[in-house]
Amino acid sequence: MKLLLVEDDAETAAFALRGFRERGYTLDHAKNGRDGLYLAMESTYDIIIVDRMLPGMDGLSMVKALRSAGVVTPVLFLTTMSGIDDRVEGLDAGGDDYLIKPYAFSELAARVNALARRPPASKESTVLRVGDLEMNLLKRVVTRGGETIDLQPREFQLLEYLMRRADQIVTRTMLLEGVWDFHFDPKTNIVETHISRLRSKINLGRENDLIHTVRGSGYCLRAPATAS
Amino acid sequence: MRLPRLLRTTSFRLAALFALIFGISTIVVGSFVYINVKAALDRQERTRIQSDALALKGEFDSGGMPDLMDAIKERERNKLAGGLDYSLFTAKGGRIVGRLPTPRMRAGWRHVNGPPDGDEPPGELEHLLVYSINLSPNLWLSVGDDIGLLRRLDNTFLQMFVIGLVLAITLAVGGGIVVSAGFLRRIDAITRTAEAIIEGDIGKRIVRNGSGDDLDRLAASLNRMLDRIGLLMDALRNVSTDVAHDLRTPLGHLRQQLENARGHARSTGEYAQAVDSAIAKTDSILETFSAILRIAQIESGSRKAGFRRINLSEIVASLVQSYSPTAEEQRRPLSASIAPDVSIDGDRELIIQLVVNLLDNAMRHTPPGTPITVNLAETPDTIALEVADKGPGVPEAERERILERFYRCETSRSTPGSGLGLSLVSAVSGLHRATIHVMDNMPGLKFRIEFLRTNNQGAA
Repeated sequence: MKLLLVEDDAETAAFALRGFRERGYTLDHAKNGRDGLYLAMESTYDIIIVDRMLPGMDGLSMVKALRSAGVVTPVLFLTTMSGIDDRVEGLDAGGDDYLIKPYAFSELAARVNALARRPPASKESTVLRVGDLEMNLLKRVVTRGGETIDLQPREFQLLEYLMRRADQIVTRTMLLEGVWDFHFDPKTNIVETHISRLRSKINLGRENDLIHTVRGSGYCLRAPATAS
Repeated sequence: MRLPRLLRTTSFRLAALFALIFGISTIVVGSFVYINVKAALDRQERTRIQSDALALKGEFDSGGMPDLMDAIKERERNKLAGGLDYSLFTAKGGRIVGRLPTPRMRAGWRHVNGPPDGDEPPGELEHLLVYSINLSPNLWLSVGDDIGLLRRLDNTFLQMFVIGLVLAITLAVGGGIVVSAGFLRRIDAITRTAEAIIEGDIGKRIVRNGSGDDLDRLAASLNRMLDRIGLLMDALRNVSTDVAHDLRTPLGHLRQQLENARGHARSTGEYAQAVDSAIAKTDSILETFSAILRIAQIESGSRKAGFRRINLSEIVASLVQSYSPTAEEQRRPLSASIAPDVSIDGDRELIIQLVVNLLDNAMRHTPPGTPITVNLAETPDTIALEVADKGPGVPEAERERILERFYRCETSRSTPGSGLGLSLVSAVSGLHRATIHVMDNMPGLKFRIEFLRTNNQGAA
């Protein structure tokens, strides 16, 4: 995977560069918006990571310019923690996701992977399948090995989110944002409780655990065949 | 040095403007009176002269020359009592009687300067107004009067007028200066107070004279404003002190931990453990920063621009649903009574956080098994959201304080947390113009958030 990082802070950039290179990603780095825009127009990237605060042309203008030039590469914005309005502005400007600084590298990696593998909106299917787990989005029914699993609405939403990102690591923050619409960290462990309930409902009387906890990162829904 | 400033004061300028307007109107009124009085006097004089001339013509017409001469002689005798001058001339210009200049055989009015007769100022000729009339083809009569007195009256009038005008303007300007000096003195007092405050004497206040006039009221308002700023500054100082204190402790722990690892860790496992714990501590410090900034941003009011109609019932119901599994796990009965389709104008994300923080607070500061209730009710006036628990509660004296930044009850100091969760609730309530009540739930603690009902109810 080829990434472009537009970030002016040398230390933050080095941190991300090292992390991605260790995972075998190709990464270009631009120190300001102008260079970033030039690189993004010049070559093809899978994901562009843009800091919102950049010297000269800021991240927001850079992405706007990129979008008006017809470049549709997914963009992940990095924002400072104070900006609660930043997210909306970033998404309006053509960003696809955002991450508040400072962040854990595992969080950034998980979001980059999710963006890269995001299916095009037009190909939305009405049935999701992971191994013997099946979700019918129209009938709102979940079955495993043909047996219907009774889920609460929130659990259904959670499972749908995980199934759409099967085989990817999904972080706690991604779940809070995607399933609960929480853009902050609640003090109560509602994610853990819901995951453990969902897990017990899905695994009830079965040997294969589909929902895996990835230590220090998040969760991953995986069919047993691909797990081995 | 003082005068130019004085001339620039508002009250002096006002006084000067009034003096100008007063001067102009005096000139206008004076001129009007002068012109009219002069015209009336002139008319009166002419009527007197003309009627006398016509009376003499009557004498001549009825009694001929002898009667006319008698009448003239009679009038000459009474001259001292304000009589007129009379002269008769032949058509060829020969003087028959009198001392008036020849009429040049033309009827009507003439102004004539004659030799002085003693009642005029030295060096001036006598000034006469003369009316001539033709009595018979060979006889002319002229009747005249000394109008020098009238002219001198004119001059006196003009002189008095100018003196009066100058006096009035001087008084106005002088009064303006006196009033302005008083005004300046009071403005100077305010300026001196302001300078003292700028210099750092924050407690200084403007001395009032208690008269209740506009300057006095201004001083009162300024004093109140200064009091308010003082309070805000104190609050700000407290907050920054609190921030420093509250972050010092975890940073100190972090440092101890790292130092401890450096000195005592023997294996990579132990190092990894120390690093993990340091990361967790750093995260909690960053979270505190984030909460401070978030509260500041909410309090700035900028989020108000994003207000839209939100369905409070749905939000609260969905949050209760999200929290029930965890509550169940902790054996807490979580019950909710939510009125349907209650909506407010607000920021969805912040309202979610408000409810979450209240639920978090109830879950974290009460022992497991404590019942929690959530209530959303709508009355004609208000929309009330209540989150209550049956836990140990908070002493009455501390109830309002728990909304303050970094305030933590003695009993909750051992629970991890930034002490900012309820401050954020308070900030979000403030942004939504909602009032927050911290009440006794007998036993336990009850938060009641009252939103004002807005006009377009019912729209989801």
